[in-house]
Amino acid sequence: MSQAQERLSWLWIGLLALLGMALIPFSQWAFGINYDYTLRNVALGGALLGAVTGFIGCFAVLRRESLVGDTVSHAALPGVAIAFLLAGRQMSLLLLGAAASSWLGIQLVQGLVRTTRLKREAAMAIVLAAWFAFGLALLSYIQNRADAGQAGLKSFIFGQAAAIIESDVQLIGLVGSALVALVVLFWKEFKLITFDIEFARADGHPVNALSVLLSTLIVIVIILGLQLAGVVLVVGLLIAPASAARQWTQRLEKMVILAAVFGALSGGSGAVISALDADIPTGPMIIVAAFTIVLISLVFAPQRGILWARRRVAPSQDA
Amino acid sequence: MAAIEYALIQLLLQFTSTEALNAFLRDPRHVAAMIGALIAISGALVGSFLLLRGFALVSDAISHTVLLGIVLAFLFMTAILGLEADLNSPLLIIGASAAGVLTVLLTEALSRSGLVRQDAALGLIFPLLFAIAVILVSRFVEDVHLDEDAIMVGEIGLAWANTTSHCLANCQEVTITPDHPQAQMIRECTNCLTLGISPRDSRAEFALSCANCGTYSPAQAWRQGLVSEQPTLVFWPKALTTSALVALLTIGFVILFYKELKLAVFDPVLAQSLGFRPALLSYGLMALTSLIAVSAFDAVGSILVIAFFVIPPAAAYLLTDRLSLMLIIGAGLGSLGAWLGYDLARGSFLGLVELSNLLAWLNSVLSLQLSTTWDVSVSASMVLMIFFFFLLAWTFSPRYGVLASLVRRSHQRRLFEDQVVLRHLHNHSAVSTRDEECSANTLHLHLQWPTLKTQKVVARLRALGFIRQEGSVILLTAQGLRAMQSFSQKYLPQITHDDP
Repeated sequence: MSQAQERLSWLWIGLLALLGMALIPFSQWAFGINYDYTLRNVALGGALLGAVTGFIGCFAVLRRESLVGDTVSHAALPGVAIAFLLAGRQMSLLLLGAAASSWLGIQLVQGLVRTTRLKREAAMAIVLAAWFAFGLALLSYIQNRADAGQAGLKSFIFGQAAAIIESDVQLIGLVGSALVALVVLFWKEFKLITFDIEFARADGHPVNALSVLLSTLIVIVIILGLQLAGVVLVVGLLIAPASAARQWTQRLEKMVILAAVFGALSGGSGAVISALDADIPTGPMIIVAAFTIVLISLVFAPQRGILWARRRVAPSQDA
Repeated sequence: MAAIEYALIQLLLQFTSTEALNAFLRDPRHVAAMIGALIAISGALVGSFLLLRGFALVSDAISHTVLLGIVLAFLFMTAILGLEADLNSPLLIIGASAAGVLTVLLTEALSRSGLVRQDAALGLIFPLLFAIAVILVSRFVEDVHLDEDAIMVGEIGLAWANTTSHCLANCQEVTITPDHPQAQMIRECTNCLTLGISPRDSRAEFALSCANCGTYSPAQAWRQGLVSEQPTLVFWPKALTTSALVALLTIGFVILFYKELKLAVFDPVLAQSLGFRPALLSYGLMALTSLIAVSAFDAVGSILVIAFFVIPPAAAYLLTDRLSLMLIIGAGLGSLGAWLGYDLARGSFLGLVELSNLLAWLNSVLSLQLSTTWDVSVSASMVLMIFFFFLLAWTFSPRYGVLASLVRRSHQRRLFEDQVVLRHLHNHSAVSTRDEECSANTLHLHLQWPTLKTQKVVARLRALGFIRQEGSVILLTAQGLRAMQSFSQKYLPQITHDDP
């Protein structure tokens, strides 16, 4: 690709991001949406979260580990419950417990794949179900207690966007930037283990340590998203922006930036659309928005898109 | 459904009394264990094929997307057909099965386009369908217990309480009409409310109305004291019938299509070329998966049901290489887990560990204030029990277990060490070099091994009679030479021997 084309494509991405930001004044003007405290938090949180999940999700999708998010999100439950039992309702500790328990689950998946003939996805399903069962057992144990301080523990699992407060948004922003910074720091290594793990190993890179680091980042980003989207929908948030971005470019640099923009767009617009009607839940709306972007990308993307493929096939049939 | 239950009850009463049967069915443990075992059998049979085809996570996706099928069928039923809202309608089950198949169809279409890989395709489709379902529920469904939470979390420990009553004797329905002797007639003021007057007012008009008129089922009639003889009733848990029917259907499907399923799993290309239509069979499998998932919602919820699909077959897969055995072991382990899970939920782990003691110990060690009564979700405990069996299989399986492969590996390591030493001694057996190369004091230098390791291997070989020592020089015995040669013939056939 020539340098001019390269510059042009970055320009397009920038333009798209600007367009996304212009949605805010546009929605105020066209639909009379009032950006009150709650909506500001939800929309900003959704956009930030979408950006980070999109960014990190690219690696999950390219490494054919898209569904790892499913296991991670379900496996968080026992950690949340144990943290609650030990320390009560402290958001930071709950998140820490969630991350620790998901992380252990992922390590067990790796262990199962390494030592048995079970396939990766079978191992993921086993860990998902077993961890979730342990979490449910603990949750029902907590619910039997006299003090009813457990209110809201379930919404942690099923996601409740409206409960997002300013400190949550700050947390997403802070942790998200740290994650992105880490990825940028290890950019070359992550790129290598994503595309050619055998070469990376032969070249003497600490492939196992890097894989663990990358899966840890994925765990953290999913735990961040649980509160907003819930265990099932966060899977979509991890995969959809990355899958959409993959259609538009062949380069990893552009793919992650584009995925971040797509993620932010779906997170923000999903939150704003759900504000139009009290009966539309935010998490699911974000997923629908993200999938709309995927659909547009699948159909219209140059080179790979379905329309493009049609155009390419048609002349050859004539000949 | 009721007819089947009735016939079954009649059959059971040939062997037992009504009282005993009712007492048996009133025990939450029996009912939970039976339903759990039935779900485990259906799950393991279907799950084995899913696991072998690499579709383990598809069961997870399906168990979530059936929500969309249920919601759409529900909306179709209430909004278009104008029927009463009924969560037990067969229409919902049809909708759910269709949604399961749709999930697979969409995923396959998306991954066949080549734009998205298969895992990503599944990860795109099922959150989307689930999201649409959640939006539809919160937007259009009101006043019905149909939500995410109700479907994701079930409780098998309560299944015994949701029953259909079957009457066996003294079964009169009682219809009370106003002229029935037991009718309770009351004089009611018909215009007091509209005129705003008291019943004593002279303008008040009265009419007789019947307070207890209507039709009473035998059970209700007995409870209201309308009949003198107690009807003989059997209370049959509803979930028992559903899960039994689904299990029968699954067993029938697997027996009927066993050959075809086996072929489709192990050699789909051959199955295709023989005209077996493996694709059609796999949609059948997916429909069955959805059906099992839906029927298990009340009992175990949509996430835990995955455990019944995946974990028992996975444990069986680590124990056997035969498909038929895998099916049987999987179903057996699942049922056993369901049976023992009830005790775990009530705080006893296989009767070995009392969890309340464990909690008390945790309290004293970590100075916590945890409640020491462990009384938790039965369905979750069943899954934990099944997972425990999986861990056992993983650790102790004679062929694929962790321990077995550790033993195998250490055996291989020893064999290798022995052969290294034997070959070294053999290569340097010429008298000129052997004092230098084969001395017990310097052997470790030539092998570049730690001293301790060298001593251990030498001691082992001497005990085997493969080597002997003359002074400080170690020599190969005839037995040792034979051991080396037979190893070479077995594992290193390409090495030619120019032995004397």
